[in-house]
Amino acid sequence: MAFAPMGPEASFFEVLDRHRESLLAALRRGGGEPPSGGSHLASSSEVLASIENVIQDIITSLARNEAPAFMIENRSSWENIKFEDSVGLQMVSHCTTRKIKSDSPKSVQKFALILKILSMIYKLVQSNTYATKRDIYYTDSQLFGNQTVVDNIINDISCMLKVSRRSLHILSTSKGLIAGNLRYIEEDGTKVNCTCGATAVAVPSNIQGIWNLVTDAKFVLIVEKDATFQRLLDDNFCNKMSPCIMITGKGVPDLNTRLLVKKLWDTFHIPVFTLVDADPHGIEIMCIYKYGSMSMSFEAHHLTVPAIRWLGLLPSDLKRLNVPKDSLIPLTKRDQMKLDSILRRPYVTCQPFWRKEMEIMADSKMKAEIQALTFLSSDYLSRVYLPNKLKFGGWI
Amino acid sequence: MKGTAVTVFEILRFLIIHWKCDIEVSKGVLLEGQLVISIEGLNSKHQANALHCVTTIASAGSLFGGTVLKKFLKEIQSILPGISAKLTWTSEESSYSQDMTGVTPFQMIFEVDEKPRTLMTDCLVIKHVLRKIIMVHPKIRFNFTVKVNGILSTEFFGRPKFDTIESYCSRIHPVLGHPVMLFIPDDVAGMDLLGELILTPAVALCPSPKVFSNQLNSISSVSIFLYGPLGLPLILSTWEQPMTTFFKDTSSLIDWKKYHLCMVPNLDLNLDRDLLLPDVSYQVESREGDQSQNMDLQGQTLLLFLFVDFHSAFPVQQMEIWGVYALLTTHLNAILVESHSVVQDSIQFIVDQVLEQHHQAAKAQQKLQASLSVAVNSIMSILTGSTRSSFRKMCLQTLQAGDTQEFGTKLHKLFCEITQHQFLHHCSCEVKQQLILEKKDSAQSTEDTPDNSSLELLTDTSGQAENKRLKRGSPSVEDMRTLYSARAPSLSEAALGGRAPTAAPLTPSGREACETHSRALTPGRASLGNHLEDALWLQEVSNLSEWLSPSPGP
Repeated sequence: MAFAPMGPEASFFEVLDRHRESLLAALRRGGGEPPSGGSHLASSSEVLASIENVIQDIITSLARNEAPAFMIENRSSWENIKFEDSVGLQMVSHCTTRKIKSDSPKSVQKFALILKILSMIYKLVQSNTYATKRDIYYTDSQLFGNQTVVDNIINDISCMLKVSRRSLHILSTSKGLIAGNLRYIEEDGTKVNCTCGATAVAVPSNIQGIWNLVTDAKFVLIVEKDATFQRLLDDNFCNKMSPCIMITGKGVPDLNTRLLVKKLWDTFHIPVFTLVDADPHGIEIMCIYKYGSMSMSFEAHHLTVPAIRWLGLLPSDLKRLNVPKDSLIPLTKRDQMKLDSILRRPYVTCQPFWRKEMEIMADSKMKAEIQALTFLSSDYLSRVYLPNKLKFGGWI
Repeated sequence: MKGTAVTVFEILRFLIIHWKCDIEVSKGVLLEGQLVISIEGLNSKHQANALHCVTTIASAGSLFGGTVLKKFLKEIQSILPGISAKLTWTSEESSYSQDMTGVTPFQMIFEVDEKPRTLMTDCLVIKHVLRKIIMVHPKIRFNFTVKVNGILSTEFFGRPKFDTIESYCSRIHPVLGHPVMLFIPDDVAGMDLLGELILTPAVALCPSPKVFSNQLNSISSVSIFLYGPLGLPLILSTWEQPMTTFFKDTSSLIDWKKYHLCMVPNLDLNLDRDLLLPDVSYQVESREGDQSQNMDLQGQTLLLFLFVDFHSAFPVQQMEIWGVYALLTTHLNAILVESHSVVQDSIQFIVDQVLEQHHQAAKAQQKLQASLSVAVNSIMSILTGSTRSSFRKMCLQTLQAGDTQEFGTKLHKLFCEITQHQFLHHCSCEVKQQLILEKKDSAQSTEDTPDNSSLELLTDTSGQAENKRLKRGSPSVEDMRTLYSARAPSLSEAALGGRAPTAAPLTPSGREACETHSRALTPGRASLGNHLEDALWLQEVSNLSEWLSPSPGP
């Protein structure tokens, strides 16, 4: 084994191992990994050629005295998104599009900004350098106006050219943390060992570039909040439950955190569980990891891990553990709207147990944070709740 | 003795008043017809260094019925006692028939002796008056001929025929202001009016901001046009010194300080220039110490049209209108001074609206230019950075450019052309044209209608006499009513929808703009638009009092 055994004895992981077997069997039945659709990892020359083709089209339009325009797929429209159990949310093959015209007062500015960012991407790819979205924004913050404009245009370009954002040499800023039985080598040769200590390792910004991943982990635990992640670090959870990997996106996960989770699944096919608050926001974050987000559905194949299971905190756990009412929080109107929205999403229909848990929440009109478990003891989460869940298969 | 110019104008004015009042022109129809004015001057046998001028005013077609001709002659002779020269009337009585619903041509002749220089000035004044008349009465055409000792010159004032469609509308789109009642000072002697004088201002920018694609200039001058009842020009009794006391104070109508403009009267109103001259003109002068305010020689002209109409609860008689003209001609200054506050409020309001629109248009234009610049630079960056020769070659070949510099120039030009075409396309005139087209599709119409009913500002491209006409937009009836139903209407809508005719290109660039616009409508469309436009125009100007609210006070 790569790591000194510090965790429970092997029998502790029997249920986990059987779960893993079932996951592998499902993969084999499904014919292996689903084909990579949507965007792909394009080579630099492919990206440059794609951009040049766009420019050629524009110039040809102008030569014909026609106003050039971009046809952008409506990424964030439900009518353009379908659900597949093996992939999650992904864009349909024939999407509705919108036109960004150069001769319309309303869209000429966006037309120009798309060209601007295309030219910047062109330079990045040519020079084999990378920039974050934030870097792009700060090259001319007055021109772009705000970060959201830049983010949306970059996603539109990625969708339009059918290449991943990484291939555009635009990085997203990583905010996630990882800890546990994992080591790898980054693109620049840096060796990283995530073995638990008092601190965690930042999720790298170049996930595609990391290689030589090594782990003995029996499971990956995705933790919604940084506070919970730190608590588990403080409780030495990684060693107590060794071998395992813990990762957090600190709320809504960034692209790199999602890519890393995907990479861990693709590489090791070990069970992935989520530990989120028993509230609609937590459930939504879990769904992002599992099925993807609407806005990034065009890159679903690189980002989603449909095999993820919901470990906790389940709404049914609140009743089972007799969590006192003063530890619970009433659902706000916004919570209820979000919960209703999640219940209407296509992927919930194939998750009857998830639906049931959400209905329990809806009926009780109450939510709870993971920290509610501290009413039992301060280390109840790491000492009792999670070990029991993992040992006896308390996931859905 | 009255000179030729004054006599011609008074006859024309009386003619049009009579025409309008007696002929029962329906509300939806503009006065239409052609008048020929010819002056023949020969060396006088009675005065040295003078010309004996015979002036003929005739109708090319028919104007009104024969039964009123004699009455007209009798009345005009009583109105114009100052014409000591012979005033004769001839009519083609042989063609007159009581059964005719049509009318009979007529001809009036008077003779005066004038110095050659006086005649020359009179001719310029007459042309000035004709231009002002056709601005408001687009369907009246004038043929003005002067023959002095055998040397002949002819000018036509009217709307030419057009057979091409301009791709965008370069009309000037005035904004109508709220009508206000004028106060007549007690000490102003004159007629006892059984009604009220109502002043309606209209403001526009010339050239239209939509025309100038690459720049939106600041205001450099102001031109004020005065009209009396029935849309006839007001020629003040002090026309040789047009700047009355009231107008000498440039802030009497508009507070220019709020626009950071300093206006000074422009007294250089030379009749000898073959242009439509305003009655009052101001120009911008840089404020002392304000280095940022440079006088923009290519700037836009703010056009201000003051329409004074007579409103009465009783049917208005011709003599009343004549009397109102007499009153205005002599006492306009005193009336405006007395009504200063309400007049200024009304004008200020719409000037604010127009200039705000101008400001917004300028911002939009700047935004557009900035965007185009970004787009062009981005494409150039990719082109010049590309290492793929086939790509670079293809780009250059597509635009037929010899090198990247030429490519960049052509690229920018193409973007400008395409975007400006669309940016200038959005105006209610185009919407109206589209409506007319749609109507045409559903109704049969002939294609051979020579005229269109829109007023246009034109210049003679061949360098002959300039025919200036008023460009009229296409307000809907609803827009007009909306404009006048509230004290502070949504003038952005009114500006787009509400139109009053008038615009006078006073700068060469404005002339060019108006030239391009002169071919705005195809003949085929015009016939369907005629009734609509006539009705709207009539509402706007010709019958101001008819759609004003009963007490349009401040």
